[in-house]
Amino acid sequence: MVDSNQAQASEGPARVRRGLIRYRQLWALLIAVLLLWTYLSFASPYFMTVQNLTNIALQSSVVGIMAVGFTILLIGGEIDLAIGSTQALAGTMAALLIIQREMPIWAGVLIVLGMGLIVGNVNGYFSLFTKVPSFIVTLAMLGVLQGLAFVMTSGQTIGGFPEAFKVLGHGKVGVIPLPVIIFFAVTVVVQMVLSHTRYGVELYATGGNREAAELVGISVRRVLMLAFIASSMLCTLAGLVLSARLNAGHGSFGSESLLDAVAAVIIGGTSLNGGAGNTFGTLLGIILISTIKNGLILLGVDPFWQQVAVGALILAAVLVDKTIKGELAPGDLLPRLVRR
Amino acid sequence: MTVSAPQGMSGSNGNGALDRIPGPVMMARGVHKSFGQVRALIDATFQVDEGETVAIVGDNGAGKSTLVKILTGAIQPDTGSLELDGTEVSFRTTRDSLQLGVTAVYQNLALADNMTVAENVFLGRVPTRWLRVDRRRMEKESAELLDSLAINVPDVRARTALLSGGQRQAVAIARAFRSGRRLMILDEPTAALGVQEGQKVLDIIEGLKGQRVSIIVVSHNLDHVFRVADRIVVMRGGRIVGSRRKEETTTDDIVHLIVGTRN
Repeated sequence: MVDSNQAQASEGPARVRRGLIRYRQLWALLIAVLLLWTYLSFASPYFMTVQNLTNIALQSSVVGIMAVGFTILLIGGEIDLAIGSTQALAGTMAALLIIQREMPIWAGVLIVLGMGLIVGNVNGYFSLFTKVPSFIVTLAMLGVLQGLAFVMTSGQTIGGFPEAFKVLGHGKVGVIPLPVIIFFAVTVVVQMVLSHTRYGVELYATGGNREAAELVGISVRRVLMLAFIASSMLCTLAGLVLSARLNAGHGSFGSESLLDAVAAVIIGGTSLNGGAGNTFGTLLGIILISTIKNGLILLGVDPFWQQVAVGALILAAVLVDKTIKGELAPGDLLPRLVRR
Repeated sequence: MTVSAPQGMSGSNGNGALDRIPGPVMMARGVHKSFGQVRALIDATFQVDEGETVAIVGDNGAGKSTLVKILTGAIQPDTGSLELDGTEVSFRTTRDSLQLGVTAVYQNLALADNMTVAENVFLGRVPTRWLRVDRRRMEKESAELLDSLAINVPDVRARTALLSGGQRQAVAIARAFRSGRRLMILDEPTAALGVQEGQKVLDIIEGLKGQRVSIIVVSHNLDHVFRVADRIVVMRGGRIVGSRRKEETTTDDIVHLIVGTRN
């Protein structure tokens, strides 16, 4: 009995220690976000206002929903470069069906979600059954979907959603905007599936060692097909939220968000090689990016520097990730450049 | 997967495993396999008896891997048949063979390094409770299984990437043992290991023999083969050219068979 009590007593701190080590990248990211917030709150009197923080949360939400889908796929060792254009097509279709064709909202939303389902299946089919890398398949789909979005509306913006649809982008629960709640719910639910279900274990195993997963009887194609579908469906949801927020649909809306979504996932610690990552890291990653963009505006920096900052952040995150994994020594980069 | 029981013989017992009858656990009859113009396996007839450890040896390109892959369903034979416990079976995938208790541990392909020891032991058959992965059960049963096979790992919750080569191979063997109670196939189990670690893996294989598991070991290391095998099957040029009981042969005899200086 004494032994058992002692074991239980020592198990608590051990569990905390394991958690700290396992999620060290998350803690580091959280500290980075908090430090940045502290700096910006001193640098600009407008930063720490309810309105500004709400803006950051709203900006994070739409890209964040897409980034969560991207996280699922990257954990499985696949990639979807068409997330921005899937989102753009979803918003355009919603506008076309609900505003121009005057369809009931529920019918328009269902058709758009159906489109997401089809796109996910197409991405998955060509990537998994024809052995063309998903990088190429989804690059092609990026062009196809983006083109379709422009063709459908002849490049015009379609605006004026019914009030009931606009709730998706403008509604609030208490003081919290609905898109923020949707993003948070998606983040939590997806991570619960990844951490606590058989599917999650199989996805991490597939991303970690696809051949091993196949040899133990995991249906790798089924696992990855579901990941492709989840990614497309979440992009479609993001497209609906964005079009409701902007009260319009256009082929270019959200198409530039690919860079931000990829940056958020990588900064959040999801491995480019698959098999590791989580949606809470992605959440913190997108908050960091939105904060940097917001901070640059508040500090009066030319908005074009935002893209430079996000690109540089991706590179920095990959280098830090490789250093943490021991694949790159901190002093490696400079001497190599000097030697050449 | 197709399973067809000959008249008077056993069939599936409804739990995925076949009813046991005396005789060979696995029998391959007249198996041929070609890859284009290359004849990888020619008229291979081969059997493993209940509780027997058979080593397959041969030079590179002798057909060992092809035979093993056919036995696990990773590839299909052009002609010939497989019998498991006297019942003709046809494995279209490795999942088919797994369901009937035939598993393989492939060198370097065995584990997902990003996952814990317990997750790896249960990979492919993760237990759930109310749709939730039952980690407590996984960890408890993994620890018990590793204990029973005298496998030492620091913690079943540790990631396998942190383990040594020998420990990783041991975990892979434990997983195969858990799901492959009829026949375990170990492909070069000690090839990438140091001397001490290799010895530990051999200890584990000897421990498995004590549990009456039928085992096929593919190896280049004749010292290791002579330590664990009951019978040694030699392959050369896609054919099985000899089968010797360990106590009736010598290393020289086997080497001559491998290089083709004796039939």
